[in-house]
Amino acid sequence: MPKPDPSQNCGSPDHNIHRRKFLQGLSAGTISSMSFAGLFGAPAFAQIAKKKQKHCILLWLCGGPSQFETWDPKPGTTTGGPFKSISTKVPGTHFSELMPKCASIADKLAVIRSMKTTAKEHTEGINLLQRGHAPRPPFTRPTLGSVLAQQLGQLESKIPNFILLDPCPEGNEFKGFKAGNWAGWLGAEYSPVRVGGEFKIPDAHRLDSITEDDHEAREALRKFFSKKYENDRRSAAAGSWNATFERVNGLMSCAHLFNLERIPRADRDRYGSGAFGQHALLARTLVEEGAPFVMVANGMPWDSHVFNHEIYQMVVPDLDNIIFQLTKDLEDRGMLEDTLVIAMGEFGRSPWINQARGRDHFPDAWSLAMAGGGVQGGALVGATDKYGAEVTDNPFNEENLFATIFSALSIDPHAEFNIPGFPTFHHVENKADPIKQILS
Amino acid sequence: MNSPSLKKAKEIKLPSHVLDLTLGKDNQIYAACLDGGIYEVSTKLKLLGEAYKKIARHDNYASGVNWSAARNTLISGSYDGDLKWIDPGEKKETKTVKAHNFWSWQSRLSPDGLLLATTTGQYLCGGYKYEPAPETEPSVKVFDIETGELRHSFPHTPPVQSVAFSNNGKLLAAGNLMGEVILWDLSQNGKEIARIKTPDFTGWGIIKGHYYTGGVFALHFAPDDQSLYLAGMGSTTDPAAGNGKQLWQKFTWKDGVKKEAAAANSEIGEGLMETLAFHPAGKFFIMAGRIFKGDWNAALFDHESGSKLHHQNVGFRISASTFTPDGKTLYLAGGANQGRPSEEKKWGRIVIYEVIS
Repeated sequence: MPKPDPSQNCGSPDHNIHRRKFLQGLSAGTISSMSFAGLFGAPAFAQIAKKKQKHCILLWLCGGPSQFETWDPKPGTTTGGPFKSISTKVPGTHFSELMPKCASIADKLAVIRSMKTTAKEHTEGINLLQRGHAPRPPFTRPTLGSVLAQQLGQLESKIPNFILLDPCPEGNEFKGFKAGNWAGWLGAEYSPVRVGGEFKIPDAHRLDSITEDDHEAREALRKFFSKKYENDRRSAAAGSWNATFERVNGLMSCAHLFNLERIPRADRDRYGSGAFGQHALLARTLVEEGAPFVMVANGMPWDSHVFNHEIYQMVVPDLDNIIFQLTKDLEDRGMLEDTLVIAMGEFGRSPWINQARGRDHFPDAWSLAMAGGGVQGGALVGATDKYGAEVTDNPFNEENLFATIFSALSIDPHAEFNIPGFPTFHHVENKADPIKQILS
Repeated sequence: MNSPSLKKAKEIKLPSHVLDLTLGKDNQIYAACLDGGIYEVSTKLKLLGEAYKKIARHDNYASGVNWSAARNTLISGSYDGDLKWIDPGEKKETKTVKAHNFWSWQSRLSPDGLLLATTTGQYLCGGYKYEPAPETEPSVKVFDIETGELRHSFPHTPPVQSVAFSNNGKLLAAGNLMGEVILWDLSQNGKEIARIKTPDFTGWGIIKGHYYTGGVFALHFAPDDQSLYLAGMGSTTDPAAGNGKQLWQKFTWKDGVKKEAAAANSEIGEGLMETLAFHPAGKFFIMAGRIFKGDWNAALFDHESGSKLHHQNVGFRISASTFTPDGKTLYLAGGANQGRPSEEKKWGRIVIYEVIS
């Protein structure tokens, strides 16, 4: 079979990139509300186009990380455990001694110590903290990642707008969630592309026997007939199929970005050799390439019903280093201002130690941290009592949290979802206030 | 031999979980507790005051307490990395030695009361699958009780959670998270003589999370020092469940490392086993810990056959055990559920059993 003639195309991606560049800065959510014909005349267009791309990396600490061994230590109390607290770069703020690197950049982190939610079990908690609202059957609210994919995603972007990196295929309750409906009423095109560990992107390369021009011509024909089929039959299922195909098609052009081996060894060493660190580094590189939302998980290692202190002596230093490296790298690349990094799980862990040397689920008073775009470095909000059993100052729930995340990313938290035939839903319900103390 | 059994005589409550206990002069009980306290515990009825008195305090969990009759002193170990010498008569600390930069997981006294071994090591990520990173300080150290000087230090892969002297005091064994036990001959200047490796005590989380849990939590030489018992929890793929088997295994090393015996599946339940102690007569031993599934968390096993002779559900997690020198009494120590926090709650436990044999 003849090889394609290289003289027809020098191989430079510049030939293909101009349209993508042109449309950069236009979010899918924004463009969907405007007609293409009116696009160039819209006064908001120039402003929107100039707006910098926002990104979000969610370090999903599934299982429920202990606040005592991270952001809200209680040394010397009956509940504090064996780890001490250390001072940080922010006077008066202390973290667990397991987080010395985060302590050194505390002026870049915003910490909430007063999360108070209601879900006590994983599935319930994961849904609550991934979707920002309790279930309201039969409607399925999209997850944070799906909403951000819609709001921040780029039109015609080849890189997926919602990437889930999780090298652990199991994870008990998280496994069930991962198999479920992430995008809810937004539709399949806002579901995550899952990569990591054994989840690879195989066979994503164009055959040498097909030229780029041939490939594009075939794709245009396929797209035409697919859209015609979808329109003629008014088929939502066909629409979802088309959306999925588009995402897979896009992956062909960016599959190489998911290859950890392409990242310099020195960078990989800095993030630590564990799977979580390696995938957090991958998240950074994907955001550099334009991905608006990347969620990094690693099964449910934070669910320490057994051996809390024995496990946390390892997983917390790992997390400490990951947050440190990620924050510093984004800052060094001038991207921290436009990238929100969130480290959280679905709840915290109990003040008391159980008989298996573990801490149990605890939604009553827990902590999380953010860094980067839209949040105020060095902010510390909320407080708990001596034992960490009750919130004593500024309790916040999942709605406040989601309003904060949307606000930090310049998304109206109270905007309506425009879904024909549905009740009125908002990004955040009940007009919940964002946590103003941590917004920059 | 008639099968031995246990008859509960008394239960004492302490302010926090008891991680270790020892018997001093005239079988006086001393306990090392999670609140950092080293307690002198009375078994006699007190008309006034508590049944215990704090005689020393560490800055972190007190993980070990040992009585040296030869030097008339207690030596305690702690998660603060310190060893403390305590005069039981004066009820005060007489010396502190920094042993480790991380926790003292376990400390044990040589039979002659002249040496103390202590183990340390933080589990840190050392690989993609969260294999433990190499040690940053010697994981096993042996100190001179008289002077407090370091006599030996040995490398191991952290965390090293258990340690034991042989009955003749010549050998030292230490076991870690990955189920590796190293034996050194102290009479040959600490020469390594054997390395036992067993995957059976270590879990890797296929579900929940990809990391290692478990390991060897207790070690004890057989009375003739020809074999070594290991105890802990059997491998589990769900590290958050704590549902591995209640496990002991016996190894010999003279003609190459060989597993000689193990707890029979039909006789064990599930849960972490934290302590081993031999009855002074040397015929049987106790293994105890936590019950997850089954009907016991303390059981007597025959040294010769390995079969279970007696079992008991003590009702709380057990971390330490010891027999009196005459073999008539068994002390088990640990803790109940901590429950909602308060200053008043006493969740540490010591239970005293009469040994009937």
